[in-house]
Amino acid sequence: MEISHELFVGFSKSFGLFYLIALSVGITLYAFWPSLGGRFDKAAKSILDDEDGPCR
Amino acid sequence: MKTFLKPLLKPFAAFFEGHAKAHYRLERHSLGLTAAIIVAAGIGGFIEIAPLFTIDETVEAAPDMRLYTPLEQAGRDIYIREGCYACHSQMIRALRDEVERYGPYSLAAESQYDHPMLWGSKRTGPDLARLGEKYSDDWHVRHLVDPRALVPESVMPHYAFLLDAGLDVESLPDRLAALRAVGVPYSDEMIASASADAIGQALPDTDRADGVFDRYGEETAVRLFDGSADRVSEMDALVAYLQVLGRLTDLPAQIQPVPEG
Amino acid sequence: MISSLTQAERGAAMLITLAGMVAGLAMAAAGQGDPMGAHGWIVLLFFALFFGLLARAAYGSDELEDRSLAYYDDPTKVGILLSLAWAVIAMGMGVWVAAQLAWPDLRFDAAWSGFGRLRPVHTSGVIFGFGGNALIATSFHIMQRTSRARMPGQVAPWFVLFGFNLFCLIAASGYLMGVTQSKEYAEPEWYADIWLVVVWVVYFTLYIRTLARRREPHIYVANWYYLAFILVVAVLHIVNNLAVPASWTGAKSYSAFSGVQDAMTQWWYGHNAVAFFLTSGFLGMLYYFLPKRAERPIYSYRLSILSFWGITFFYIWAGSHHLHYTALPHWVQTLGMTFSVMLLVPSWASAGNALMTLNGAWHKVRDDATLRFMMVAAVFYGLSTFEGSFMAIRPVNGLSHYTEWTIGHVHAGAMGWVALITFGSIYALVPGLWRRETMYSWKAVEWHFWIALAGTVIYVFAMWNSGIIQGLMWRTYGESGTLRYSFTDSLVAMHPYYVARAFGGLLFVTGAIIGAWNVVMTIRHVPRQVPERDHPTTSETMEPALPAAE
Repeated sequence: MEISHELFVGFSKSFGLFYLIALSVGITLYAFWPSLGGRFDKAAKSILDDEDGPCR
Repeated sequence: MKTFLKPLLKPFAAFFEGHAKAHYRLERHSLGLTAAIIVAAGIGGFIEIAPLFTIDETVEAAPDMRLYTPLEQAGRDIYIREGCYACHSQMIRALRDEVERYGPYSLAAESQYDHPMLWGSKRTGPDLARLGEKYSDDWHVRHLVDPRALVPESVMPHYAFLLDAGLDVESLPDRLAALRAVGVPYSDEMIASASADAIGQALPDTDRADGVFDRYGEETAVRLFDGSADRVSEMDALVAYLQVLGRLTDLPAQIQPVPEG
Repeated sequence: MISSLTQAERGAAMLITLAGMVAGLAMAAAGQGDPMGAHGWIVLLFFALFFGLLARAAYGSDELEDRSLAYYDDPTKVGILLSLAWAVIAMGMGVWVAAQLAWPDLRFDAAWSGFGRLRPVHTSGVIFGFGGNALIATSFHIMQRTSRARMPGQVAPWFVLFGFNLFCLIAASGYLMGVTQSKEYAEPEWYADIWLVVVWVVYFTLYIRTLARRREPHIYVANWYYLAFILVVAVLHIVNNLAVPASWTGAKSYSAFSGVQDAMTQWWYGHNAVAFFLTSGFLGMLYYFLPKRAERPIYSYRLSILSFWGITFFYIWAGSHHLHYTALPHWVQTLGMTFSVMLLVPSWASAGNALMTLNGAWHKVRDDATLRFMMVAAVFYGLSTFEGSFMAIRPVNGLSHYTEWTIGHVHAGAMGWVALITFGSIYALVPGLWRRETMYSWKAVEWHFWIALAGTVIYVFAMWNSGIIQGLMWRTYGESGTLRYSFTDSLVAMHPYYVARAFGGLLFVTGAIIGAWNVVMTIRHVPRQVPERDHPTTSETMEPALPAAE
């Protein structure tokens, strides 16, 4: 197969779309997966009490 | 809502759980997170950029297009050095008012030898894509020396010091060779005689001037750009460059496109 | 500061400075008569300064403290001071160039003082000098705290910080000498670019090594943003700066790309510099300092993950909206436009997330100017991302492109978002970092806030107005069907706005000067406070960083 501009454009237009959809679905699932909620809450709270070492 | 979805999703629970766990593992290891960022940004970026590696296939053929002469290229380097691109674009968009104000809209072919392109992003001053031969050399020199003497409202900085600065012609063969390395089809002869050609183009009626015609065509402007035959100044180079803007090929005028908007 | 280095670290640091001096000398010798030679001298002096400091303390005591008990904050402190210094210099430069447009005679007669040479000093100084130093300093702070671990070494952070500042110094001094590639926000020439790659690799390694030492199971989301900033900026920087030097003894180089390909590469870089330098890293700041200052966890951690991936993925495609109606193929323009509009979703998710975090703590916003800096930054972030998506729509861009509107948009982001979140973070950070009870003057913080906000609003409104007027004048037709206004007419119409813009900028830099003064006075005059705890607290979750199964 010849590597032409049309080929690249076609690939970008088709594969790019599916890649976008797949990535969006994957991320959304991850972010909203119920069993991870507790860990996320802990992470969010973790920064509120992380002080502090002496500064020399 | 939840009670309704639960039985529906149950068969897939194991899959989802695995998917989420995999994700979690991914970002609890910093290198996994790194890889994920590269994949998300990199593949997206690559897909967009990939067609551009072959974009020269889409650039119109402009068989009559000539290269910048060494003097013009030196002028272009001064244009870059002084940051002219910060206020002047060189890209006429395909919009009716731009075509009427500045001329036929810019084609990709016109900047195919521009390393880098100087399309610009801001017009504090007007577009310069078709500036060449719109004004006389003398106008340009006087305008660069004192912009407000010719255009009282202008806010352009003056560039009088270019008149007194001798042009560095010795580095021109190196410059042309570097340009050839990135794809500009300069011949060995053009590179070898770059310094002489730069001087010749600013000193008409000399042997060196004939060399410029031989190598870059009879239409090349060979003139005393800064009005002085004493030496080749940076002003010579910059004006030579400004006078060739939009004149390397006739293609835009031939196509005479119908603009949008 | 040097006294806390071990003998081995001092030795390593001296070797690095020696190598730097040799490199500087080589550049100065090779580049005689070229700006590169001058840069060689700058490099030489820069490293000689540090060599001298190290040599003076070479035989000092070798401290044997237990480093694992403390975070390493010295580089953060220096980074913050450098950031403030760059802010004052670069914003001051911005006022000067703005004034040159209103009163062109302020250009004076020197070759180096023209608008074209000073402008990149302003842009690079603000983006890299002010923003970059703030990012490096805060990232050092945040990565240690969220990991509850100290940085692995004591040489690498200094190398990153000072190496980056050397890059900024070469860049800024180069512009004044006319050394530029003309690629906006990537102007420095090849040797500076190569040096930045070295610095960046060390930065990335340092970050990853710190994260690897963490005692927290989860990598807090602020680190994701910083990592994306480091990684993607590296890729962008390398690709866009590919060039062939005209000679190895001179500064001049020619880009590997030309014409339409170069335009696309440049704006792929240019827009993602906005995304990953001016957005991603500063969102990392926001996600750490805003919850911390408000003493409330981020409203939705899930949303922050979602918007992180959204921003990382969408931004990369958006660059071509800088090239609407140009010779760039039509479909690429449409692609850029579509993704730019979609970008609004993750951007507003971030801004909304920040504001929702403050919901229930509005009394703190009212009383605490530091928190207010962050709140207003989030608002401006929301505003300018909306504006950005809007301006990326092709017909809107037809009007706005090339005009002052673009400048207004950029400054809504740079002043309203980037600078305000940075100042807020600095005020949040300084007292704790230097072990002071409070800032020297809370009134000065309050003054800084209102002056900065007024300056931003004046600036942005002046540029919005002038940009739209300019765009409309360029396309207005008279009754006879010809263009009504000459270019000069539109330029004359800009004058009052240029004056207002310079005034707005002057207010903003005044605020920055007050801020810098306040920080210095805090360090010098506010009494030291003994910390309640002097060791990193352990993770609340009590989970090991790596589960036993792995």
